[in-house]
Amino acid sequence: MVLFALLVSVALACLGRQTLAGRIKFALWSFALFLVIGVGVAWLMYPFSR
Amino acid sequence: MTVETLVTEENSRLNPVFPVLIALAAWIVPGLGHLCLRRWVRALGFFATAGGLALAGYALHGEAFRPGSADPFGTLGFLADACSGVFYFLPRVLTNARPDLSHAAGDYGTRFIAAAGIVNLLAVIDAYATARGERS
Repeated sequence: MVLFALLVSVALACLGRQTLAGRIKFALWSFALFLVIGVGVAWLMYPFSR
Repeated sequence: MTVETLVTEENSRLNPVFPVLIALAAWIVPGLGHLCLRRWVRALGFFATAGGLALAGYALHGEAFRPGSADPFGTLGFLADACSGVFYFLPRVLTNARPDLSHAAGDYGTRFIAAAGIVNLLAVIDAYATARGERS
């Protein structure tokens, strides 16, 4: 999940921002959101896993 | 207005086939379209991300869908996978590694390969729009 989040974040940053600084900021923000939301959704689904 | 913008707008005006050729190059080798347009960072970014996703997918023994599937999802999977260009066609020729979907890793690998194609499809659209002068 971490590798997927990292690679997709970089791709989205390349598409979404024009400057290098903007891309780095966007990629870091997107990467963090991928991880937080991924782990959050996993915790929400945990009670239904049994 | 940058030199790169001027170059792409001039090329598009002179030759309407130019954006199509750029899109074709971007599809065949991820990042090549942007490289031709002298967008170095985007070229490197798309090559690294599409290549990284596809190679990670093959390393996890994911399945790359073949054409002519009777299952509509198989056809959709093929379309997504084939969008990664050389990263779809070359591993099929260079290796005889078979997908292994008996473990969860193989299923993750299948998604990685599809994601590589989707990322490259976005890159192709971006390269086409850039070559037409619609994006900088």
